Amino acid sequence: MTGGPVTQSPREGDKQSGATVRRGGRNFMVAFYAALRAIKLYPLEHSAVQKTLVELSQVAEELRAEEGELEFRISGEFIFLNSTRLRLDLSNYATFGHILTLCKVAGIGAIHVAPRGTAKDWTLLLSLLGGETKSSPTDRFKEITTRLKDAGIETFQLDPPTETQTDREFNEEAKAAANRTYSQSVAVTKDVINSVRIGKTPNIRKIKRVVQGIVDQVLNEETSLIGLTAIRDYDEYTFTHSVNVCIFSIALGRRLGMTKLQLYELGLAALMHDIGKSRVPLDVLQKTGELTDEEWRWMAAHPWLGVLVLFQFRRQQDELSYRAMTVCHEHHMKIDLTGYPKTIRPRQPSVLSKIVTIADGYDAATSRRVYKTEPLAPSAVLEEMRDNPRRGLDQVLVKAFINLLGIYPVGTLVVLDTFELAIVSAANPNPEALSRPIVKIISDAQGNTISPPLTVDLAVPEAGGQYARSIIKTADPERYGITVGDYLI
Amino acid sequence: MTTSVPANTGEHALEEPSFPVNFVTDLLKAFVKAVRAHQLYLPNNPMHARSLEAVRDAFAAMWNHTDELDLQIVETQLKWEGRVVLDEGERTSDNIAWLLYKDGIRELKLLKGFEEEELGIFFNLLHAVRKATDEDDDLLTLMWEREFANLQYRYVDLTAESGPGVESMERAEQKEKILSPAQVEAGLESTTSSLAKLDDFDSTLYFLDDREVEYLHQEVKREFSTDLRPAVIASLLDTFETQKDPTVREEICGLLDYFLLILLSTAQYRNAAYLLREASVTANRAQDVLEPQKQRLTQLGELMSDPKPLGQLLQALEDSPLRAPQMELDEMFGILQPRALETILSWIGRSNNPQLKMLLEVAASRLAASNSAELIRLIGSDDEAVVTEAIKRAAALKSPAAVPALGKMLTVGEPDMRLAAVTALTEIGSPGAMQMLERALIDDDREVRIVAVRALGAKNSRAALPRIETAIKGKDLREGDLKEKMAFFEAFGLLSGDAGTTLLDGILHAKGFMGKRDDSEFRACAAMALGKINSTKAIESLNRAAGEKDVIVRNAVSRAIRGGGS
Repeated sequence: MTGGPVTQSPREGDKQSGATVRRGGRNFMVAFYAALRAIKLYPLEHSAVQKTLVELSQVAEELRAEEGELEFRISGEFIFLNSTRLRLDLSNYATFGHILTLCKVAGIGAIHVAPRGTAKDWTLLLSLLGGETKSSPTDRFKEITTRLKDAGIETFQLDPPTETQTDREFNEEAKAAANRTYSQSVAVTKDVINSVRIGKTPNIRKIKRVVQGIVDQVLNEETSLIGLTAIRDYDEYTFTHSVNVCIFSIALGRRLGMTKLQLYELGLAALMHDIGKSRVPLDVLQKTGELTDEEWRWMAAHPWLGVLVLFQFRRQQDELSYRAMTVCHEHHMKIDLTGYPKTIRPRQPSVLSKIVTIADGYDAATSRRVYKTEPLAPSAVLEEMRDNPRRGLDQVLVKAFINLLGIYPVGTLVVLDTFELAIVSAANPNPEALSRPIVKIISDAQGNTISPPLTVDLAVPEAGGQYARSIIKTADPERYGITVGDYLI
Repeated sequence: MTTSVPANTGEHALEEPSFPVNFVTDLLKAFVKAVRAHQLYLPNNPMHARSLEAVRDAFAAMWNHTDELDLQIVETQLKWEGRVVLDEGERTSDNIAWLLYKDGIRELKLLKGFEEEELGIFFNLLHAVRKATDEDDDLLTLMWEREFANLQYRYVDLTAESGPGVESMERAEQKEKILSPAQVEAGLESTTSSLAKLDDFDSTLYFLDDREVEYLHQEVKREFSTDLRPAVIASLLDTFETQKDPTVREEICGLLDYFLLILLSTAQYRNAAYLLREASVTANRAQDVLEPQKQRLTQLGELMSDPKPLGQLLQALEDSPLRAPQMELDEMFGILQPRALETILSWIGRSNNPQLKMLLEVAASRLAASNSAELIRLIGSDDEAVVTEAIKRAAALKSPAAVPALGKMLTVGEPDMRLAAVTALTEIGSPGAMQMLERALIDDDREVRIVAVRALGAKNSRAALPRIETAIKGKDLREGDLKEKMAFFEAFGLLSGDAGTTLLDGILHAKGFMGKRDDSEFRACAAMALGKINSTKAIESLNRAAGEKDVIVRNAVSRAIRGGGS
């Protein structure tokens, strides 16, 4: 067999029944969350509580009857329902995140729901799950299982979190797929930009395949791919930057509830956003010193040059390229249409352009480039994007972006209150714990290297309900002689 | 090429299949036939429908045994559970297995339900990749875009670059000891380290409220329902205006030419109109534009009014039902210049498309109204269809400026044209038009004369009276038909007033040579004209004829007395 490794189309399981489970799963999660909230707000005998509990038991029973079983399982940042992973989007991320955190705090890895569970059964489980606790997850798990047993409730079988063989394989496979997707994307981007530079028409099909791969990866397991954006290869900046912007844009678009095909269009536009630089002289692009006015004019020309370049892709004059052209033209415009290039005719900036502008600004500011040897810390960049109105970003999208990356984005070096050094490896899926990401601790308080690094979810409390570690500050990896990317591959 | 299923030579070691293999082979035979039928026949062809039905039947038979069918693609063969179930031999685009294989697909899983809607879609894709060039999308790309629910596949990405893996990217050596925070912070004024702020821990700052979520959903909805072509046109023209480099401007001019063609060929008329309009604005507004480039922009709009490009546009609209929204077409026609009038007028008569015809009528009226000189020129055109329509426009516009051209038409035109001209002159109704109509009283064509005399009567053009009187007294009218006589007499009655009574009375009552009266029709016409005059003297003349023996005359007299000649 020639070519690369055999790749499965998006790991969706049986797509048809998967869709049914996902739909049912969403309803179940919404009912679960509603009941949790009602219990928290009102006394148990309140009609609102009873109503939500009855609804939850009905939804669960229907789903169980339809699927033959009902297993709710937590794996990493994902929630699975009968082995189908439920998809996260803008309309459900808070619900999912809250439930995910409660289960983690309660030390629950899976809940099997037996037939004919009653509202009364659910009342006890949810009361225990949502109750205040100072116990460690392990102790809490024991407490909950004991309480359920004492109450004679056999509807639920709780399992502690276990990393199963399948989970490990899934994680490994996801990581390998992310690496493959990322490196292929960089290679294709390089090929495209270089082709244009020498006057050749690039292979559009390759670009499409690459973006399809990134969309699949983001829909399937985005964390690994987002992690790779923090590698920041200095020599390949032009190419890795385009790929990073594509990844961030697709991930943000997904949060906005875009469909797969919409993400595809967004991804194509994002990957091509800097294609105009292929017409900017290399000595200007690579200049380390301050740019002259003439050189700056060249740099500022890349958005509209991009439109001209995309017209060279004559065989694809369809919606996709118009979208890419628009994003090329607008990605340095502010929401009030200032910035560059100058606009004369009235226009309403495309939301895709606004997404790419944010992704572009973030990746550029956090990268080391020929003329900028000290990149800014990711968290500082986000803070600036949030607080500096002169950047002219869409603030709602910035919020959604921070929601995606967390307050301390992947690749941020942080000092913990234990004086350990850690690198953020993933945002916390729980939006209520954005400041408590998942980190890899790389050295202890004395500076001794921890190898392999210890992965810790900073949002999970230990016995007594206290957090074992908290971030006290971000740090400059250069000061510590650390290359962040080394820990994220 | 024949579709063959080879004997399972050498496959005796395989395990028993999960169900009889003939269900799969039968299905694939039907599948291959249907793919070919899909290529050869239109969807409304019975062969097409029958072949699809045969595949669906074969699927139904197989679904009795399984819910999914896993097929491996090995170059020119399809295999199921290790057995070759389809072997079409050659590596050609007719070979389904090869078609899949060459684009990287190595395994297909068909799920129950695939045969319903997705089967046809899959056939379309196969058909598309058969005809695809190297630059077109491959099957893998197309299948991804379709999002099949009941078709899964495994593939090798043959387009994948074998670039260096991320592992090979710049990687520092792992150290055993890293500086501790205490060491680093001691004596350092770090600009890139920052203490975590209390605010930063407030995750609620980053929660999107319902209003914000709704805003984002609306933005996405707007994005994917908006036509982006105008934004691209604006990008090109804004760049033209802001970048003074002639090379850049030259490139943009070329792109605009190309883009316009794309827009026209894809029936994007509104956008084409926007491009043309804005190109003209840019030509006039941009600074320091080289004259040839300015002309290129200006000519873009003018070009569309030229007979050939406009003819192409009208041909395209004529050939297909007008699917483009009316507003888009209105905008497109709105940018046409008066020069376009001739082409448009020539198409009005030719078009069999009622919607297009209506559109052309509106455009013609607008263009004619804005440029009467062009309209007048077209009245003298060699193309009869153009002349007819031009005369109609002149009539509709009541344009006095068109009178001389219409007058000329009365002398040189064919009867139809002359008739159209007198109709137009009637509509115009100006003194000049009336003068021209007088000339038409002696036209060779009866219809022309009738229309002219009626118009003169109706418009009370007294100047025409002598000519009408001459006609009444003349020999020719006596030999004409009743309709013409009536027209002349009625006009005479309307224009002459009481002064005409004597002449009419003479015709109605006087006996001629040998005591013979005028013919009945002529006398009846005189009676009707007296009725039009309706004076005491005229009524008296009519009353005297009330006892007339000639039935035709008597009836005319009594009608004239009752209704005043109407």
